[in-house]
Amino acid sequence: MGVEIAALMGFFGLTSAFALVATILAAWMAWRIVEKTGLPGWAGLGAILLTLTGVGSIVPLVLLWVFAFMRWPRDDPARALPGYGAAPAGGPPRPTPPRALARPAAALADRRAWKLAGGGLALIVDGSATTYVLTGAPAAQPTELSVPDPSVGRPHARLLIAAGRLGLEDLGTAGGTFIDGARLLPEHGPRDISAARSIRLGTVELALSRA
Amino acid sequence: MTYVVAWILGLGTLALLFLAIAHLLVALVLIIPTWRICTRAGFSGALSLFHLVPVIGSFIVMAVLAFSDWPNGEASPVRR
Repeated sequence: MGVEIAALMGFFGLTSAFALVATILAAWMAWRIVEKTGLPGWAGLGAILLTLTGVGSIVPLVLLWVFAFMRWPRDDPARALPGYGAAPAGGPPRPTPPRALARPAAALADRRAWKLAGGGLALIVDGSATTYVLTGAPAAQPTELSVPDPSVGRPHARLLIAAGRLGLEDLGTAGGTFIDGARLLPEHGPRDISAARSIRLGTVELALSRA
Repeated sequence: MTYVVAWILGLGTLALLFLAIAHLLVALVLIIPTWRICTRAGFSGALSLFHLVPVIGSFIVMAVLAFSDWPNGEASPVRR
């Protein structure tokens, strides 16, 4: 009986010795790995030694995940700065960060009128109305802009003005409406053409600019 | 007697199967973060598959990461 107990104790002792060596080895390697990322080495050592405490292996596992996906100081753009972390006493002073410049004044909305030029005519679209209709027929109302051409529908398209921006909506004509060469279909609804260079109604090309 | 042996063999096989599955799950929980660490260090992520080796696999991965020069660069210890 005594022999069995002694063998069991020896087995436990051997296992414990192996566990101790393995823990020390792991702690040392963890220190080195963590240090290579720019983090303090004792953090890796502590994570391994945590397995010896009552919190078991769950907390080190969580720490491993955090370590894998966290930001590493090694990857910081400011890594060339001397004295990461606590600056050594008597070392070169760290450069002061640049002060933020004052915010630029908010841009005022451009209230100039829009100008559609081409095909021998120049249409001015000012902000006196919010909606204009482009038509091939002679203009009957001040909000109608006439583009006398057989390929332009009657009416052809609608121009919308809101907050200094210009919109264009096709009204479903055979000639078609194009923004910078791209077809605008009625189902597209109104499109912002403030940054467009030209629109085409049927075969009439109109360059868009500010008046 | 034959039945008893068959039962023991069957239960043992089942236990081994469960053990293998549990080992795979634990290894997976280790492989995912280690894969990312290896790729960030500049090694192939497949290095983390050493976790599948029972007992010593994790030590192999740690040793490679700890004692080799990282291709993607290391934080210089001079700074501290």
